[in-house]
Amino acid sequence: MKAQKLYSWKKVLAQLLLLGVPTVALAFFLLWGWNKQFNILQNDYIKQTMQFAVGMGVAIVFYGYRFRFLTTAAILGLLLFFFYQTVNNTVVGEFEMFFVTVQMLVLVILFSLGWLVGYGLSRSRILTIAWSVFLLVAQVVMVSKTTDIKAATLISAFIPAMAYSVYIIYTSELIRNMNDDDKLFGWFLFKRLLGFAIILAAILLPILYHFKKDFEGVEKEWANAPANYDKNGSNSENMTKENRDGSLSNKDQTRLTSSLNKGKRLVFVARLDNFFKDGKTPNPLYYTAYYYSKFDTLTQTFETDSLMPKNDLFRPNPSRIPLYFAKTDSNVIKNTAATLNRKVVTTDVYKVLLSPDEYIAPSTSFFVQPLPVPNEYKDQFKSAYRAKMWVSDLNSAYFIYNPAGNQQLEAFQQQRFDMLRRIKQTDYTELEKKFMQYYTFMPRDEEYAKIKSLALDITKDAKTPVDKMIAIRDYFLSKDEFGQPLFKYSDNPGIPGLPSANKLTYFLLDNRKGYCAYFAGATLFMLRALGIPSRVAAGFLTVDRSSKNPGWYWFYEDQAHAWVQVYFPGYGWIDFDTTVPDVNTQQASQPDGTPPLNMQQAYFVADGNVVSVDTVTKRVVMDANKLLFHDENYETQEWQRIELDVSVAAVSRDTGSVRLSALTKGMHITAASFAEALKNLKPSERDSMQSVLKKVPKPVPIDEIKIIDPEAEAQQKKKQQLAQPQPIDWIKVLWLGLITIGGLALIIISIPWLIWKYLYARAKGSKDGAAKAFNSYRAAIYYLNQLGYPRTNQSPEQFATVTDAQFNTQFRPFSRVYQKLKYSNLTLTASEAVTVDGFIVPFVKQVRSKVPFKTRFAKFLNIYNTIQYFQQPKIS
Amino acid sequence: MEQNIQIETALANIQKLVDNIEKVIRGKQKQIQYVLTALLAKGHVLMEDNPGTGKTVMAKTLAQSIASRDSQHGVDFKRIQFTPDLLPMDLIGSHIYDDDKKEFIFKKGPLFCNVLLADEINRASPKVQSALLECMAENQITMGETTYPLEKLFFTIATQNPVEMEGTYPLPAAQLDRFYIKLTFGYVDEETELDIYRNYLGIQDNLEHIQQVLSMEEILFLQQETSKVFIHDEIIAGVRNIVWDTRKHPDISLGASTRSGITFLKCLKAFALVNGRTFVTEDDVQYVAKPVLDHRLIYRNKDARQKALASILDKELSRLSKLKISG
Repeated sequence: MKAQKLYSWKKVLAQLLLLGVPTVALAFFLLWGWNKQFNILQNDYIKQTMQFAVGMGVAIVFYGYRFRFLTTAAILGLLLFFFYQTVNNTVVGEFEMFFVTVQMLVLVILFSLGWLVGYGLSRSRILTIAWSVFLLVAQVVMVSKTTDIKAATLISAFIPAMAYSVYIIYTSELIRNMNDDDKLFGWFLFKRLLGFAIILAAILLPILYHFKKDFEGVEKEWANAPANYDKNGSNSENMTKENRDGSLSNKDQTRLTSSLNKGKRLVFVARLDNFFKDGKTPNPLYYTAYYYSKFDTLTQTFETDSLMPKNDLFRPNPSRIPLYFAKTDSNVIKNTAATLNRKVVTTDVYKVLLSPDEYIAPSTSFFVQPLPVPNEYKDQFKSAYRAKMWVSDLNSAYFIYNPAGNQQLEAFQQQRFDMLRRIKQTDYTELEKKFMQYYTFMPRDEEYAKIKSLALDITKDAKTPVDKMIAIRDYFLSKDEFGQPLFKYSDNPGIPGLPSANKLTYFLLDNRKGYCAYFAGATLFMLRALGIPSRVAAGFLTVDRSSKNPGWYWFYEDQAHAWVQVYFPGYGWIDFDTTVPDVNTQQASQPDGTPPLNMQQAYFVADGNVVSVDTVTKRVVMDANKLLFHDENYETQEWQRIELDVSVAAVSRDTGSVRLSALTKGMHITAASFAEALKNLKPSERDSMQSVLKKVPKPVPIDEIKIIDPEAEAQQKKKQQLAQPQPIDWIKVLWLGLITIGGLALIIISIPWLIWKYLYARAKGSKDGAAKAFNSYRAAIYYLNQLGYPRTNQSPEQFATVTDAQFNTQFRPFSRVYQKLKYSNLTLTASEAVTVDGFIVPFVKQVRSKVPFKTRFAKFLNIYNTIQYFQQPKIS
Repeated sequence: MEQNIQIETALANIQKLVDNIEKVIRGKQKQIQYVLTALLAKGHVLMEDNPGTGKTVMAKTLAQSIASRDSQHGVDFKRIQFTPDLLPMDLIGSHIYDDDKKEFIFKKGPLFCNVLLADEINRASPKVQSALLECMAENQITMGETTYPLEKLFFTIATQNPVEMEGTYPLPAAQLDRFYIKLTFGYVDEETELDIYRNYLGIQDNLEHIQQVLSMEEILFLQQETSKVFIHDEIIAGVRNIVWDTRKHPDISLGASTRSGITFLKCLKAFALVNGRTFVTEDDVQYVAKPVLDHRLIYRNKDARQKALASILDKELSRLSKLKISG
């Protein structure tokens, strides 16, 4: 039996090019996305796309012939099944089998899917629609699996799929129904698609224009995204992220991936007045930015959780707080939960690369006060703040980075472990149930059971929680039977060869190489398996490198770190770092520089808006509503006008020093004075802001002015809006949709009437005989056609006769004259000219009088008549 | 100017002729026009329908309307009833031995006339049919060594029974092509039929008293005038499109030939004249296309016979009707 062609080669080619290519492109895009989300796909998206494309292409060509779908699909299915079974039976070995069969399964599924889609595009309307729906559903599933839902993610996930759906349904129908005998097939197709594109653009552009602002925000997100990818490669991880302005921040999540990128630049410098009991030996503390209390097993990512119980994370934005004005979080103080051996420690952080918005301090901080950078260091440091925190005496950065042989430190370690040994495992049972549940949660599955059995094995001799902790540390530091370290630090540990394997078990049991997040993660789950509340902290590790300036620490990019915090009732959260030392990077990348030592005391600080600036006499007038005088805080509801003498003042903003002329009216500034003249003016208890302002000299000598940029403020707000996915206003969406659909429907409905009005106006308006006759004739034919009296299969004369009989009009004489005018070489007689001129108006009047308004209205809603009028009748 | 007046009287006479035939054949105005179209286009006409629908009466009436008792100026009308045993000689004539002059002389057959009614042409054998059709095409008869030209005005009205009927020899496509127009008569509508029954005596009386309304000179003059009828370029393009569409149509196995197209144009001009116009309009295309083209096409199925040509025409007329007035 010879297979009969269903479509010509032109049609098949058009299907392959216009339907197949976009489908493959979308499939590539989706597979690329899915590969990022699902390990089982093994990052083989190019091969997978090829499999899909082959299935689809073959199906399109195949179903270009008159083959039956059910039989052919059944045969194909059987073939694939036997192929799969054969492969399945021939492979030997567990590993190979898993590997090959999974790949085979992916191949079979993708090929069959491609085949089905090819059939749908070629023949079946319903299958094409089902395919579009499937794509959208698949995108919904994928988005629901994604951990960071941003506008950009949503748009990139849905817009291509939706646009594709609309396009593919239209185009497949178009190609299927087109007459491919036509020589101008390609040209018609092009015209139709162009028209379609124009209509789409006409609908979308106004919408885009309307939502321009929203989209611009999204565009910025987009513009940012590729830059990150280029820098890091597709599958590696940074502990810090680079902001748009080039500054650095810690990330609020960290993935376990195959490699870690690290830089060597200086991020910030800090002074920490935490010393051991002798008062000389500095006791460094790790600087915390976030606590990762949650682990997403699907994406193998550590995440922050704003809902964590006893939330003690203090995250102010220092750039939004006026200079010298402090901000304290009482919730953090309440939640620190440490009652024993605690003290308040102060740290001064000088930012270099760290973002002005970023706040970082040893845990558990509760206080921030932005400070000016001393003049001579303004080039080096962008901004500074002071932070205060509750710190346990027992906390220290020394856990692994324990300088060997330092007796004092060894004694300290011994001492603190002794104290912590007082906490027994049973003490945890007295804690709040919710708290324990949250901080000892771990996923239940085989892999985590392996972690648990390992943890139990390692800590079988340890009695107290801290001993268990030490046992885990010792396990990481232990050596194997050849005397080699069991675990190695590596920025490029690689990923497990088996698809979807748990990266933590792979790290713990097989690979034993990894960076800080691996060590911290493994420790976290071992501790949690043992019922010890713990969490991962992210920030910067602190290294005491020089004895020149005790208490000063330098922080470089490669010090971005993650470690474990363990909860001890009474002592609070204690830092434990189980990451083994990296033999390659023991040395600091650069020698530490000179710290900004001479911090000055501000006696007078005012916060408010600029009223006027005089750059010649160096005078600034401001309206203030907040005042700091000798550390006493004053606030009023009314604005107080203050004149400032700024002849020696240093002006700065978050990005660094600026000139005085940068000050403009209405700007939000903070002005501080270190003047000796103010030193002796002590505030009394009864002072108010007004009385203080009366005391100080006029104008007030000012040494430091900090500008708080409103622009940054707005950006900050926007960022917050973007960060928290706003609830979608469904009512608004509904209305917009209804208005759009309604508007479109109204336009479509009124098209016949608008065309009629135009034609009628042309007919009435034209003067020239021939044009008048043509326009009148066209208008009359259109009007009759719209009212349901088409000319079909009638000659003009027949049609005119029928019309005259129906409506009692004078169409026939006019039609005759019109034909004469159109086809003869004779001129019209005077009476014929009169017939032409006086035809259309009485004709329309007459027809109108015979057809009731209701009928006319209904008929003018019928756009099919209009389409029929303009359509060239098809030969059948 | 003189000629114009002549045209006008001639056109008026055509109308008179139509009216004349109307007196005898009721409700067949279009068919009468078609017959006259074929006459003016110097072609021949084939009428097909069941017996008793008025074919023969129509031919006779037409002949009588233009025939004259005076054979010098009038039209010579002959009628042949075709039968299966008819021989070509019965049509053409034969050589007879003249006893007086001692030589063979040619005795002219009925073909040597102006208007020939070939009744039931498909009942005769193919031999006879082809002899007649050859004459129609060549306008001359060759017997042995001598060639005898036919009359200047030679118009054949052939009738035939539907091919499905028994005892017929269907005309092959090539021969059907010789007829410019093929008509089907069909039954008249109810009203007209009632009218015919009421007045059948009067109608028969009319047939016997048909007057000559058009002279032979006038017909020849009108035949000449036909070629001068103005035909717009777009109409010519329309004819071209229709002919092309019949060749491309999937349900037509044999489309119209170029000769058919030329015949179509001639008939268009003649039809315009019959309708009292000196230019061709869209209406003419609509009316003339079917009688001229239908019998030249070979359809794949019955359904196509009903629809194909009509839809081709509809497309072309739709194009023409939307054209702007030019020139």
